[in-house]
Amino acid sequence: MPVDFVSQFDRVLIERVRAADAEAWNELIGRYEGRLLAFVESRLGNRATSEDVVQETFIGLLTSLPNFDGGRPLESYLFSIAAHKLTDQLRRAGRRPTVPLQPTGASSSGWDVAGQQQGASTMLRSGERRHLEEAALVRALAGEIERWRQRGDWEKLKCAELLFVRGRANKEAAQQLGLSEQTVANYKFEFLARLRAALGKLKLPPDVFSELQA
Amino acid sequence: MSRQLTDAELEAYFDEALPAEEMARLEEQLRLDASLRERLAGLISLRDAGTHSLGAIWRRHRLSCPTREQFGGYLLGTLDEAAREYVEFHVTVAGCSLCSANLADLRRQRAESADAIQTRRRKYFQSSAGYLRKG
Repeated sequence: MPVDFVSQFDRVLIERVRAADAEAWNELIGRYEGRLLAFVESRLGNRATSEDVVQETFIGLLTSLPNFDGGRPLESYLFSIAAHKLTDQLRRAGRRPTVPLQPTGASSSGWDVAGQQQGASTMLRSGERRHLEEAALVRALAGEIERWRQRGDWEKLKCAELLFVRGRANKEAAQQLGLSEQTVANYKFEFLARLRAALGKLKLPPDVFSELQA
Repeated sequence: MSRQLTDAELEAYFDEALPAEEMARLEEQLRLDASLRERLAGLISLRDAGTHSLGAIWRRHRLSCPTREQFGGYLLGTLDEAAREYVEFHVTVAGCSLCSANLADLRRQRAESADAIQTRRRKYFQSSAGYLRKG
């Protein structure tokens, strides 16, 4: 059973939409359309086309609702549908290049995630298993973020966000935060060590969390 | 952008999670560079195979994103200094595109007429309500 990350308010709204409650559907549209439109319009720069993409997003939500399992917040799920519809639109316009499904010469092109080989456990795990692993990582990450907030360690939060979410290299993160590279490296080491410890207690296979391998 | 892109940046691109101007710049790079496309394809394959990416999961669950209420407080000037600074960092330095959208939406609501908003919402409702199904 997937872990439920949907807020109580959204859970009730989704239940009502699943019961074909038109008023609830109208409410959901009112709650989310503005932010979806701002997201799409920032990429397309065209209001009419952006509204079309948002329209497709809402239809996409209704058609995929039977598969929505609460494994992520509703807002995040809606944004991911919008991102897919947006990608389709950008491809049609010739802006977004198509990426080959199977890479060729992969081992020599440098795309391997640093130091990893996919283990058998990576390939053979069920969807449910992946959900549980993801839920464990979410709880570990959320715990660290909350700990930083409680302690006023905003610098560590900002550092982790730049490194892992924004994908900055240590040197760039150091420059952006006005820190030394050594301090950034120390924060990174501490953060990864704490995550490894949290996940280790749950006896999860380390090869599925590629960035956490020592 | 001449430096080597990190895997996390490429994944953020794939998730449509970078600021719009960087998304456009990366699109341009990917159109011109077959090896970069191949590298991205490799990362997608790893994800499809079940390898968890810290950044992807952090983004998907919006783990450090301020709440909509906090953005409202930010615009009203009622957040304390640390929270205000973090909102600014998250949107402008970390470049969270979803939070940028939330903030832009709240700003636009102040400027847009209620009629315009209602007309748009009605259009969305009318075009989608036929897909409402019990189940």
